[in-house]
Amino acid sequence: MPKVKPEMRAILVIIFLLFIVFLLLPLAVLLVRSFETSHGFGLVNYQSMFSNKDLFEAIQNSIRVSTMTAIITTILSFTLAYTINCTNLNRSIKAVIKTGILVPMLLPTITYGFAIMYSFGQQGLLTKLFGRPLFEIYGFNGLLIGYMIYTLPASYLLMNNSFQYIDKKMTIVSKLMGDRAIKSFINTSVRPLVGTIGGAFVLSFIMSFTDFGIPASLGGTYNVVATQLYQVMLGALPNFNHGAVIAVLMLVPAMIGVILLNYLEKFNFHYDKMSQIEQIPHKYRDIGMGIISSIVVLCMLSVFVVMFMAPFVNSYPYNLTFTFHHFIDVFQSSDLTRVFKNSIWIAVLTAFFGTFIAYGAAMLNVRSAMKKQTKLLIDILSMITNTVPGMVLGLSYLLFFNESSLKGTFTIIVLCNIVHLFTTPYLMAKNALAKMNPVWETTGELMGDSWIKTVYRVILPNSASTVMEMLSYYFINSMVTISGIIFLVTAETSLVASKIKDLQHFQKYNEIFVLSLLIFISNLFIKLLSDFFQKNRSKHRDKRWLNKKISQREEVL
Amino acid sequence: MLKLQNISKHFTGKVVLEDINLDIQAGEIVSLLGPSGSGKTTLLNIILGLTQMDHGKIFFDGTDISKLSMKKRGFNIVFQDYALFPNLNAYENIVYGLRNKKGSITKQELQEYIDFLELNPHLTKRIGELSGGQKQRVALARTLVMKPKILLLDEPLSALDGVIKESIKDRIKSIAREFQLTTIIVTHDPEEALTLSDKILIINQGTISQFGTPQEIISQPNNDFVEEFILNQLHIKRNNIYKLFGEKYA
Repeated sequence: MPKVKPEMRAILVIIFLLFIVFLLLPLAVLLVRSFETSHGFGLVNYQSMFSNKDLFEAIQNSIRVSTMTAIITTILSFTLAYTINCTNLNRSIKAVIKTGILVPMLLPTITYGFAIMYSFGQQGLLTKLFGRPLFEIYGFNGLLIGYMIYTLPASYLLMNNSFQYIDKKMTIVSKLMGDRAIKSFINTSVRPLVGTIGGAFVLSFIMSFTDFGIPASLGGTYNVVATQLYQVMLGALPNFNHGAVIAVLMLVPAMIGVILLNYLEKFNFHYDKMSQIEQIPHKYRDIGMGIISSIVVLCMLSVFVVMFMAPFVNSYPYNLTFTFHHFIDVFQSSDLTRVFKNSIWIAVLTAFFGTFIAYGAAMLNVRSAMKKQTKLLIDILSMITNTVPGMVLGLSYLLFFNESSLKGTFTIIVLCNIVHLFTTPYLMAKNALAKMNPVWETTGELMGDSWIKTVYRVILPNSASTVMEMLSYYFINSMVTISGIIFLVTAETSLVASKIKDLQHFQKYNEIFVLSLLIFISNLFIKLLSDFFQKNRSKHRDKRWLNKKISQREEVL
Repeated sequence: MLKLQNISKHFTGKVVLEDINLDIQAGEIVSLLGPSGSGKTTLLNIILGLTQMDHGKIFFDGTDISKLSMKKRGFNIVFQDYALFPNLNAYENIVYGLRNKKGSITKQELQEYIDFLELNPHLTKRIGELSGGQKQRVALARTLVMKPKILLLDEPLSALDGVIKESIKDRIKSIAREFQLTTIIVTHDPEEALTLSDKILIINQGTISQFGTPQEIISQPNNDFVEEFILNQLHIKRNNIYKLFGEKYA
C-alpha cells in the first residue's frame, strides 16, 4: 500500500469539497427549509401538509402502486434470473432474454409512459391487436405497467448477480440426498436468496416511489408523491417550504429502504468456494421456464414496438404510409436539435468528470494508506448519494443555489448527475482496483515513477475496461434521468428528457418518439462500444491463457 | 557493508521485531529464514525503506540511511508474485524503469542482462502468456537493469514448480556472483535457505535465533528452536529421500 502522497491529499480534498457543497449542505438547507415558516421555525409546515388531503392521498397511492409493483417485479425477476442461471435452456435464447430485459434501461422513464399510451390507449397498437381496450391506462394500471418495466431490469440484475454466487453443486447434493423437487428448489434456490429477494422488493419499491417520469406522463388524476412535489414547486403557486416537506417525506422511505437493503444482505448465503457445474438435465423445466421468461420479455418489449413505428409513418394510427418527415422536421427544428446536443454534452461531461471523481475516490479507498476513518467516510458519502432520490437532490440544489451564479447552468446539472449517480461507478472501480496487485505502486516507485505516473502508466491501462464501463454507466444514466434534473433545467439548458415533458403539453407525440429514439440510439451505441471493448479484452485473455499453457509445457520439457 | 543496529518494530502494541543487529558483507547471499509471522518480511521491508522502523539505525557503506526514502536508498526488490504490469509485454516491463533513468545503462548492457536470463524468445510475449519461471526471470531482469545496490527477493521460489525451482536457485546464485550483488532473500523453507545462501539469519518471534553459514547452523544449532523446527524438518526430508532411493545413495 503506497504511503499517502500530496497528490492523493489533493484528490481527497476535491472529493470532500464536492460532497460537502453538492450533497451535505443542500440537504441540510432542504431540512431547514422544511421547518421554516414566516415566523421562525416549527412543525407548522408538516402539520399543514399532513392535514392536506391531496398529499395524504398521494402518499397512499404511491405506497399502494409501489408495493404492487414490487411484488410483481420481484416474482418476475426471480423467474428470469432462475431461467438464466439454473436451466439448460439453449444459449442463444438465454442471450436474447438477457439482452432484451435490459432494453428499457436505455430509455427515459417518461418515454415508457407514451409508449404505454400508444400501445394500450384508445387507438393503441395492442388495443387494435386485441380489438378492444384492455384496461384504463391513466392511473393505477398505467403506473403499475410503467413501474414494472422500469424496475424489472434493475431487479433482474440484482437477482442475477446473487444467483452467480450460489453454489450450484448444492442442487445435485440435494437431489442425491433424495429431496423432492419443491423442497430441493426451496432449499437450494429460494433459501440462499432470501436476502436478495427482499432486496429486490425494497429496490423496486424505492424506485417506483421516487420516479417522476412515469406519473408525469400516465398519472392522470391519480396523484402520487412525485407529481405532488412537482406541482407544489412548479405549479401556479410555488411553495418552497411545502416542497421541502414533501422532499423530506420522499427521502425518509428511501433512507429506510437503503438501510433495509444493507441489512437484508446479511441473509444471503456466502459459499466459500464456487464451482461451475452442469445443471441436472430436466427438459420440462427448461422448456417451461424458457417459455415463461420469453413471454415476460416479449410483453415488455411489445410496449416499445410502437416507438419504432409511430415516428416513421405519416400520422399514427390513421395514415400508416412510411415517411421520414418527422425526423427531418426534428432535425430542422433548431430548438430540438439544440436540446439533443445539450443532452449529449451533459452526458459526456458527466461521464468524464464523474468517472474521474468515482475512480479517484475508489483509488484512495482501496489503494492508499489513508486512515481507516477517512476511507469509511468516503463509503458513507457514497451510501448517502445512493439514498437520496434524484428529485430530492435536484430540489435541494434549487433551494441551495437559488441565489448563486450556478443557477441555470450546465455545470449544476452535471454536478447533480455526478453526485446522484455516484454509487454504482464508485463500487465498480473499488471492486476492480481491489483485485489488482497491491504492490504495483511500490514497484513503480522503485522504478523511479511518481505516484501519478504509475497510475497513468500501469493502474489505468489495467483497469481500462472498468473505466469504460463507468463512463458508459454515467453517460447512459445522465441521458435518461429526468427526476434528477427536472428542477434544474431552464429554457437554455433544457434536455431531451425534460423537453419531452414540455412536448406532451402541446401533444407533439411524434417529436417525443423521435427524441426518444435519438436517446435510445446514442445509448445503444455507447453500450455496444463498451461491451465490444470488454469482449475484446476477455478474448485476448483466453488467447493468453492458452499461450501460457503452451509455454509452461515447453519449460518443463 | 549493510549494517543493522538495534532495529525494533511494533504494530499496535504487538512486538514484530526486537533489537535486531546484523552485518552483511558485499556480494553475500543472505537468507532471512523463519516461520510465518516471525517478522522476516517486515525486516525485508524495513531494509527496502517501505516500512518505517520504530527504533534502530541502518548503515550502508558507513553512511546512515535510516531516514532516506525508499527511492533514495537505491535498493530494489522482486516481490513474491512478481508484480509485473500486465498491460505491457515482457520487454516493456524490463525497460519500465529506464524511462525514468535515461542513460544509466547502455543498449549492450541491457542485452547482456536479457541474454543472461535467457529471455530473448519471450520479449514480445504478454505477461499472461508467460509461465511462472519466465515471469520470475522477467521480474529479475526488470529489477537488475535498475542496477540496485542491494537485491531483495521475497519468497522467490514459493510460486514455482519443482524442476524450475532448482534452475531459478542456480540463477540467483550466479547473479550474485556475476554482478557482485549483495542479495537478501526471505524464505520459510529451511532447505531453500541452506542450499541457496552464504549466510542464514534465523528469526523467531521477532528476535534472531541464529546467524551463520549453513555449516554452522547444521553442526552447531544455537537453541531448541533451530534444532526442532529447522534441522528436524531437514532430517525428515533426508530420511524420506533415503527411503526412496535406498541408503547407498547417501
